[in-house]
Amino acid sequence: MIILKVDNLSKKYPGFLLDDISFSISEGKIMGLIGKNGAGKSTTLKGMLNLVNRDGGMVEMFGMDFFKHEEEIKQQLGVVLGGIDFYNHKRLSDITAVTKRFYNNWDDDAYENYMDVFSLNPNKKVKELSSGMKVKYMLTLALSHNAKLLILDEPTSGLDPVARDDLLTLFRQLVEKKNITVLFSTHIITDLEKCADYITYIKDGKLLKSAEKDEFIDSFQYLREPDENTRLSLEDIMIRTERREYNV
Amino acid sequence: MFNMLYKEIRLSAHPNLFIFTLLGMLVIVPAYPYGMVFIFGCLGPYITMMYGRETNDIYYTALLPVKKTDIVKAKCLLFVLAQMTQILISLPFAILRVYILPDGNPAGIEANLAYYGFGFIIYAVFNMIFLTTFFKTAYKAGKAFLLAIIPATFCMILMEVLVHFPKFKWLDSTKAYDLLKQSPILVIGIVFYTIVMLLTYRVSANRFKKVDL
Repeated sequence: MIILKVDNLSKKYPGFLLDDISFSISEGKIMGLIGKNGAGKSTTLKGMLNLVNRDGGMVEMFGMDFFKHEEEIKQQLGVVLGGIDFYNHKRLSDITAVTKRFYNNWDDDAYENYMDVFSLNPNKKVKELSSGMKVKYMLTLALSHNAKLLILDEPTSGLDPVARDDLLTLFRQLVEKKNITVLFSTHIITDLEKCADYITYIKDGKLLKSAEKDEFIDSFQYLREPDENTRLSLEDIMIRTERREYNV
Repeated sequence: MFNMLYKEIRLSAHPNLFIFTLLGMLVIVPAYPYGMVFIFGCLGPYITMMYGRETNDIYYTALLPVKKTDIVKAKCLLFVLAQMTQILISLPFAILRVYILPDGNPAGIEANLAYYGFGFIIYAVFNMIFLTTFFKTAYKAGKAFLLAIIPATFCMILMEVLVHFPKFKWLDSTKAYDLLKQSPILVIGIVFYTIVMLLTYRVSANRFKKVDL
């Protein structure tokens, strides 16, 4: 079952064009959205979520048009925007007390359980959390309202290798045990090798390729030099695709 | 919308909003330009909007299962709630002063019906300009404040100066027949405030729909 379908999503900014982005994700899969800084990953996610006004395109989640059923869909959606901290001076318990009121499916037991599993102290203020803990708190909120689809913008950037690995392992567990679907953007290629089932690559606002991981890697093997025998890794693919010559 | 207001008060509001709202009590000060109370009623919400920008309040709200226009509606309602609470807090003190300070307010207008009528107009002028300007970008709070506070202060000064002219002495009175004469100003103030706030919401919501967060 297709959980998320993006069709020809476009957004025009002065000096930047996000051009006809299309991809889809099946239930219980993890898709990594990759591209270098400024490629359009965040714009794609924000356009999908109606945070920025799209110039064209369709977004379907759970088989419904997102822009017509936004409130209904958001009940089943968890979003973590990287680098944006909410209410730094508030305690987690205050943010939770407000957030839970908005969700029909809020599960207090699940909330207590995730807070415990992630070692989050509800009396701590947001500013007292490390970057990894902030992502985990946002995930706790999402999972406590039984989100079926998680959309995460750069959840691993700024995390140390241990925290990153920890988070990626968690994503895999969520997919395997809870049948949750995950779309996350990243510019850290090792994240994808560890965790993604599908990869969508955006370059300069255009969709380069969206495919299952092995198929994705195979399709870029033409980038190999004639004397190379080893298979190109995801990192090689991205570096070779993005490499530029500077005329200095 | 109750949940949204709850969110506004518990997460979005800066502590100053509550302090400035309480300043409705200032009408018990023997000699003071009471028009300042309404200016405080504009400052409190403004500081909350500034604070909201620093705490990414709008991003948090935009991710909740609500419509984008609900974000604007909640802010408009927060302004109304703070300002109406301020007036309610001031009312017992305005009544009390008639008995304990019968000589009136030498500094400016008395806390009477005309005063409250002007107050609604001052609030409305500020809210209309501030909110409609702010929601063009959802972050330029300082510019919106400057554009809004100048005409609001002008209205306040006008009210305070007017009562010093002998012709408008009736505006500075708490006597029954003068209060009757002042009552249309209160009615006009309330009607003006209501219409302006409805309009402010519509214009701000339409502007905010076009904003890219």
